[in-house]
Amino acid sequence: MADPVDYCPVYSPIFGALGCTSAIVFACFGAAYGTAKSGVGLSVMGVLRPDMIMKSIVPIVMAGIIGIYGLVVSVLISDGLKQKMPLYTGFIQLGAGLSVGLAGLAAGFAIGVVGDAGVRASAQQPRLYVGMILILIFAEVLGLYGLIVGLILNTKSSGTC
Amino acid sequence: MIILTASPYLWALFGIALCIGLSVVGAAWGIFITGSSILGGAVKAPRIKTKNLISIIFCEVVAIYGVIMAIVFSAKLQNIDSKDLYTPSNYFTGYALFWGGITVGFCNLFCGIAVGITGSTAALADAQDPALFVKILVVEIFGSILGLFGLIIGLLQTGRAGEFAAAK
Repeated sequence: MADPVDYCPVYSPIFGALGCTSAIVFACFGAAYGTAKSGVGLSVMGVLRPDMIMKSIVPIVMAGIIGIYGLVVSVLISDGLKQKMPLYTGFIQLGAGLSVGLAGLAAGFAIGVVGDAGVRASAQQPRLYVGMILILIFAEVLGLYGLIVGLILNTKSSGTC
Repeated sequence: MIILTASPYLWALFGIALCIGLSVVGAAWGIFITGSSILGGAVKAPRIKTKNLISIIFCEVVAIYGVIMAIVFSAKLQNIDSKDLYTPSNYFTGYALFWGGITVGFCNLFCGIAVGITGSTAALADAQDPALFVKILVVEIFGSILGLFGLIIGLLQTGRAGEFAAAK
C-alpha cells in the first residue's frame, strides 16, 4: 500500500526560500546598523583627530564581515533550492538561515554600539584602542557561532524525493 | 491544503511589489536623512553642497537595484488560465519570486538607511574640515555593498525558477 504521507509536497520551497532570505536580510540589518552607528562615531571623532580615522575603520570592516557571513550561508542554501525537494530539506534550510541571520543581527548591533563608543573614547585616550579591538572581537565571534551552526545544518540538508 | 489554493500569481506579485516598494523606501529614507544634513550644514559652509551629492547618488543606486530586479522578476510573468496554472513548476516560481523580492527589498531598505546616516555625518564633518570627506566616503562604500548582496541572493534564488507555463 502506498505511503499516505507526501514527503515532498509542493510547498516545501516556501520554507527553503524563507531560510535563504532570512540569512541575508537579518545579517544585512546587523551589518547596516553596525556600519551606520560606527560611522557616526568615526565622523564625529574625525573632526578633532583626523589622524585616527584610518585606524577607526576597524569596526566598520567587522560589521561588513557579518554581512559576508550571511551571504555565504545564503548562497549555499540557494544552491539547494529545487522544485521537488523534501519538506525535511526545506525545514533544515529554514533553520540554517535563521541561525546565521539572527546571530548576525545580534553581532552587528553589538559591533555598532561598541564601535561607536570605542572610537570616540580612543580618540581621547589612545591606550583604549587595544581594549576596543578585544571587545569587538568578542562581538564578532557571536556572528561566527551563527555561521558555524548554519553551515553544520546546511551540510545535512540534502535528501531525495 | 489551504496553502495550495493560493494562486502562484499572488506570491509572485507580492514579491515583485515588495521588491520595488521596499527598495524605494530605503532610498527615500537615506536621501532625506542625507539631504537635510547637507542643507543644514551648507548654511555656514556652502562649498559642501556639490561634493556631497555623491552621498545622495549612493542612496539612489539602491532604488535602481530595486527597479532592475523588479523588471527581471516580472519577465517571468505570463498569462496562464487558472485551470492550467496549478503545476509544481508554477508553485515554485511563485514562492521563489516572493522570497527573492523580499530579500532584495529588505536588503536595499537597510542599505539605504545605513548609507543615509553615514552620508549625513560625512556632510557635517566635511563642513568642519574638507579633508575628511574622502575618508568617510570609505564607510559609505562599506554600507552600499549590502544592497549588492541582496541583489546577488535575489538573482540566485530566482535563477532556476522557470516562467509561468500552462500544464501539459
